[in-house]
Amino acid sequence: MEDLTLHDGIASEEISEPFQCCVCLDLLYKPVVLSCGHISCFWCVHKSMDLLRESHCPLCRHPYSHFPVICQMLHFLLLKLYPVAYNRRENQILEEEIETGIYSPQFNAQASNHSGDPASLSTVDFESTTSSDPSSIRKGEPCADMELSNCDSQCQEKKYLQVSVADVLCLACNQLLFRPIVLNCGHVYCESCIIVPAGEMLKCQVCQTLHPRGFPKVCLALDHLLEERFLKEYMLRRDALQLKQVDLKHERPTIYSIESGKQGDNLPRSSDRRSKNVHVGVGCDSCGILPIVGDRYRCKDCVEKIGFDLCGDCYNTQSKLPGRFNQQHTPDHKFDIVKLSKTHILHNMLRLVAVRLEDNSTAILVDADASEDSGSESPSPALPSDSQENAESSSAPTVASADGGEDQTGFHSTT
Amino acid sequence: MSGGIARGRLAEERKSWRKNHPHGFVAKPETGPDGSVNMMVWQCIVPGKPGTDWEDGYFPLTINFSEDYPSKPPKCRFPQGFFHPNVYPSGTVCLSILNEDSGWRPAITVKQILVGIQDLLDQPNPADPAQTEGYQLFIQEPTEYKKRVRQQAKQYPPPV
Repeated sequence: MEDLTLHDGIASEEISEPFQCCVCLDLLYKPVVLSCGHISCFWCVHKSMDLLRESHCPLCRHPYSHFPVICQMLHFLLLKLYPVAYNRRENQILEEEIETGIYSPQFNAQASNHSGDPASLSTVDFESTTSSDPSSIRKGEPCADMELSNCDSQCQEKKYLQVSVADVLCLACNQLLFRPIVLNCGHVYCESCIIVPAGEMLKCQVCQTLHPRGFPKVCLALDHLLEERFLKEYMLRRDALQLKQVDLKHERPTIYSIESGKQGDNLPRSSDRRSKNVHVGVGCDSCGILPIVGDRYRCKDCVEKIGFDLCGDCYNTQSKLPGRFNQQHTPDHKFDIVKLSKTHILHNMLRLVAVRLEDNSTAILVDADASEDSGSESPSPALPSDSQENAESSSAPTVASADGGEDQTGFHSTT
Repeated sequence: MSGGIARGRLAEERKSWRKNHPHGFVAKPETGPDGSVNMMVWQCIVPGKPGTDWEDGYFPLTINFSEDYPSKPPKCRFPQGFFHPNVYPSGTVCLSILNEDSGWRPAITVKQILVGIQDLLDQPNPADPAQTEGYQLFIQEPTEYKKRVRQQAKQYPPPV
């Protein structure tokens, strides 16, 4: 009760629904855009990714296997739109990060003028200290640290509260974004500015990162905001593009054809038995694939708790990208190849079994409570009935349910 | 690994429910005898849809959220022995949107779950029976089935 009212008091800004994260239902923080165009928080996406198989969009269940990089353009845009709520989120997430000892990427405020600037993607040393271990700085003086950065950004934001077209430019045409697409690397382009030569993979023109899988969908939440805020400019862009439409129509088929070229699309499906090459729960710090399948290289010199890993492809292409969790990785660090030995595999399996058991045991406890409360006459102990039920529910029961929601694909029974 | 999204999300769910929720429904976190609030267990009431045999029944439903929520769906449970083809003898509701492997998405809200269950009451899915009695009556003796449903609705009068 108490923290609810407290919560209400702080959230004085009304957050429009498209910028509410569908996982935590709070304001998006460090937004990540999936290839289906849906946005969620960095941590909300990371925590809901499948450690063993391909993951699914929390909103539409569209499958994906690469953890996207935070979209810095959206990050700084949200900071301008909702400075109070965004700073509240920053403090809240920072507290959680200090607790877990694993950090999300940090951006310096100066970079905010050049949204999407690849230079600002590099790892940021905390408050310009020279130490390479962020956690030690943070743990030392977390409060002072937070207040400093908080005040810093607030002072800046007071001057530039108004969002301008300069905040939402396409990295290719340098005009107002029209039907924006956010690539896996977090860079934003107009849909019409992305051109893929036939037979090749989509590549970001700024950072040269390949975009996994097919052509991504327009980020509609951002598109609607652009139309609403910059109606005049938006219409100009639309009219100009309509003139070019004839050209576009010729190119479209070749773009979509890359969807069949599935690079990085080799994550095991549930039916797949090749899962012995899977590094359960380990993602690549360069391309973001999770889990890594096949060769895995682990940095010997990164001291961060989460470590720094590369998949075979990224190791061989000498990736220069910084880590996904603010690791202070540099190109001169050395790597070890991580082989999955039999003991590793066994260990992984045991870990998974342990997780399952944990689930079950809590369920059993709940069961026991429930039957006590209701004064049940059922003489059978909770355990057998529960295990029976788990067996039942594992046979994927589906029931058609008519729902009033607007975009509820996959809501209905498939049987 | 427990990142603690669950509690934050549930606080937001509670907030949005208090702002606006469908008529006749109740959903609130469990309150212990000492007045402490347990956000992980919600006591709810799903009203039967007007115009159906379920009308005038106010069915109590318990929702259990795990620390993995919303990555994993919550468990929804009617009282033990609840009469419905898609409700297990223990009371657990069998519904595609509550199944991690088929229909669950973290974006599904408590409101959508409750409305989905209300829909399920009058539109059972015979392809996925969860109890013998309800299923067999539904398939073989529609008149008796209707009678049992109306009887059950009377057992759950409006909350005071």
